[in-house]
Amino acid sequence: MIAFSHVNKIFGTKTAISDLTFTAKQGEIIGLLGPNGAGKTTTMRLLVGYLIPTKGTITVNDLSPYQQRYELSRKIGYLPENNPLYGEMKVVEYLSFISSIKKEKNVKSIIDSIGLSEVMQKKIEELSRGYKQRVGLAAALMGAPEILVLDEPTSGLDPIEQEKIRDLIKKFGKQKTIIFSTHILSEIETIADKIIIINEGKLVYQGVKPKGKGAVEKLFKKVVKIT
Amino acid sequence: MKTLFKKEVQFYFNNPIGYIVISLFAATINFLFIKDIFIVNIASMKQFFSFLPWVLLFFIPALSMRIFSEEKRTNTMELLLTLPITETQIVISKFLALLSLIVINLILTLALPIYLAISTHIYIPEILVGYVGIIMFSSFFLSISIFFSLKSKNQIVSFLISLITLFILLSISSDLFSGILPKFVQDILIFFAPLSHLQNFIKGTLDLRSILFFLSGTILFIILTVLDLEKKD
Repeated sequence: MIAFSHVNKIFGTKTAISDLTFTAKQGEIIGLLGPNGAGKTTTMRLLVGYLIPTKGTITVNDLSPYQQRYELSRKIGYLPENNPLYGEMKVVEYLSFISSIKKEKNVKSIIDSIGLSEVMQKKIEELSRGYKQRVGLAAALMGAPEILVLDEPTSGLDPIEQEKIRDLIKKFGKQKTIIFSTHILSEIETIADKIIIINEGKLVYQGVKPKGKGAVEKLFKKVVKIT
Repeated sequence: MKTLFKKEVQFYFNNPIGYIVISLFAATINFLFIKDIFIVNIASMKQFFSFLPWVLLFFIPALSMRIFSEEKRTNTMELLLTLPITETQIVISKFLALLSLIVINLILTLALPIYLAISTHIYIPEILVGYVGIIMFSSFFLSISIFFSLKSKNQIVSFLISLITLFILLSISSDLFSGILPKFVQDILIFFAPLSHLQNFIKGTLDLRSILFFLSGTILFIILTVLDLEKKD
């Protein structure tokens, strides 16, 4: 379903991603793990077609994210890093805008399942970080995407809000393929079926999430230290 | 595309900036017009249409400076470019939204020719052609300003680059260069001078060359903006 094949991404003289190859099957929840600056966000942006690879190929459901971005954008729900939103809009206006573009008919059920009913008339810039993240997630869910791409979905949230977002991801993971990036190891343990670890732009591990408490941390320290 | 168009227009009417810009434009234009009618005693819209490009020189960059700069600064560009909306639809929606605001401002000046029509004899088709010319001229300048808005995250930088570029374009058809440049160079520059083409409309003439000049110039800069937006580095 998702296939990266020898993908490189170079910005000027800096190589952000080098020879990245991995696959993801339908219905999997994949955790993309790596230290800060490893290339997680670049990988996400390549996946949704916001960036074009310098070398290599990417396919998502047999479509190219950069050549068929428009067709693919109907199948992917994306929550970018730092969750950019139109702060001057009210939540109801923003979600109405997104739902209109994505032709979503069941807006109310998404709003209810995410828990945004009580803040619909508030301006986005007035919301807490946790609620803003929920707005971003609600927008990503619109249009019934088959794949959710979430870039650090719990970044900057307090532990309670992190837990709530993780619960939502697990809930939607039963119906969709999810790829989420994080540098929080406990999130991988809680949510992911499969892990991809990248470090300094290179793939260092790809496989099923190891079982046992602390197993992910042990694996991460082992593979990141080796490179 | 209709959704994005509506969002862009609503921004200006949900924020003070839209009303400030409209008020300043209306105040400036009405002052200039009233000066002509009551002080210089000319019952004609020709001076009005001749002043208008110099007012639009500041008004259009001010209106369009945030249109892409702000999206780049707040990173909502990443959001927009990953939604099911093409780059062409994004550019055209934003262009049409801003053009609508300009047309609204021009509609607010219709009281002037209506007043003239009531109080004196004026040739209305000539005035209508003048307005068509101003709208085409504004479209051309707007497409250039939108292109420069995409070039910078900083609204002020976008404003200044647009302003300078539009000033140069206005200057090449003014008397500024007539004493400096050779005649054959002036003759070439006149063809590319927006003010020369606008003059045809002000005289009440629908000159096909001028219509094509403004249309092709507008389309060119819209295409350049789309191509720039499609570059993903």
